[in-house]
Amino acid sequence: MVYIVSWDEFVEQSVQLFRADPESTRYVVKYRHCDGKLVLKVTDNKQCLKFKTDQAQEAKKMEKLNNVFFTLMSRGPDFDLSEVNGKEQMETQPVKKGRGRKQ
Amino acid sequence: MVPKTNCFRLDLSLALWLCFVFSAIREREREEVFDQCLRICKEYTSQDLLQLDPFLNELTSMFEKSKEKGSVWVTLKRSSLKSKLQKRKLSAAGESIEYRCLIRATDAKKTISTSVGAKDHLRFQASYATILKAHMTALKKRERKDRKKSTEAEKKEATSTTTTKPKKL
Repeated sequence: MVYIVSWDEFVEQSVQLFRADPESTRYVVKYRHCDGKLVLKVTDNKQCLKFKTDQAQEAKKMEKLNNVFFTLMSRGPDFDLSEVNGKEQMETQPVKKGRGRKQ
Repeated sequence: MVPKTNCFRLDLSLALWLCFVFSAIREREREEVFDQCLRICKEYTSQDLLQLDPFLNELTSMFEKSKEKGSVWVTLKRSSLKSKLQKRKLSAAGESIEYRCLIRATDAKKTISTSVGAKDHLRFQASYATILKAHMTALKKRERKDRKKSTEAEKKEATSTTTTKPKKL
């Protein structure tokens, strides 16, 4: 199977694949708790990209990829992804409120 | 168009038979019959879409059941949830087709699905991420010993190839 070694390459190629054919591309996540393995697959039924891991840090990266796909799929393949990162920053910023006033 | 009895096999056979009969006739009628076949199948297999919160609850229970053995698959796909016939009607009427993100989850015994639109995707994203973080605990964490060894090895490589030391963040 076509397992990609580099995470960034996997992300880039899968987003490209989705943008080329948004109607038939799907993103599958398989998790096995007993083996501690996580496998990601992106396919458009012609080409298949896979990524496997057993590292917890890659699971964090996967969450970001999930967000990317949620946005692309619900809003459209032409949605600007830099806005997604901007929104994430917006969500984290309000947490810093109220630091200066307490005396 | 297709007569309905309460027997799944009869219903499906009737629908399929009509498909064959109409296969010689216009494509549009055939599509309508296919549409109805699909609807009958969905009704009987109860593959109806859940609401977001029930879906998330079911997903959580799937993860919990699959802790000892088994896998959980989650599939994301863009879909308008409309058949070819409906899509053609909408585009003919000049209306834009609304796409949603179809999410399916299965543990090989049961399959659940839901769809998320542009409005609710942020909220769903957050809840979904929480569930994953809570349950994907079997993955290996990078040990400090490995980190030290890898940074030491990297430093040695760096000093041998370049004159200036790279800064470690």
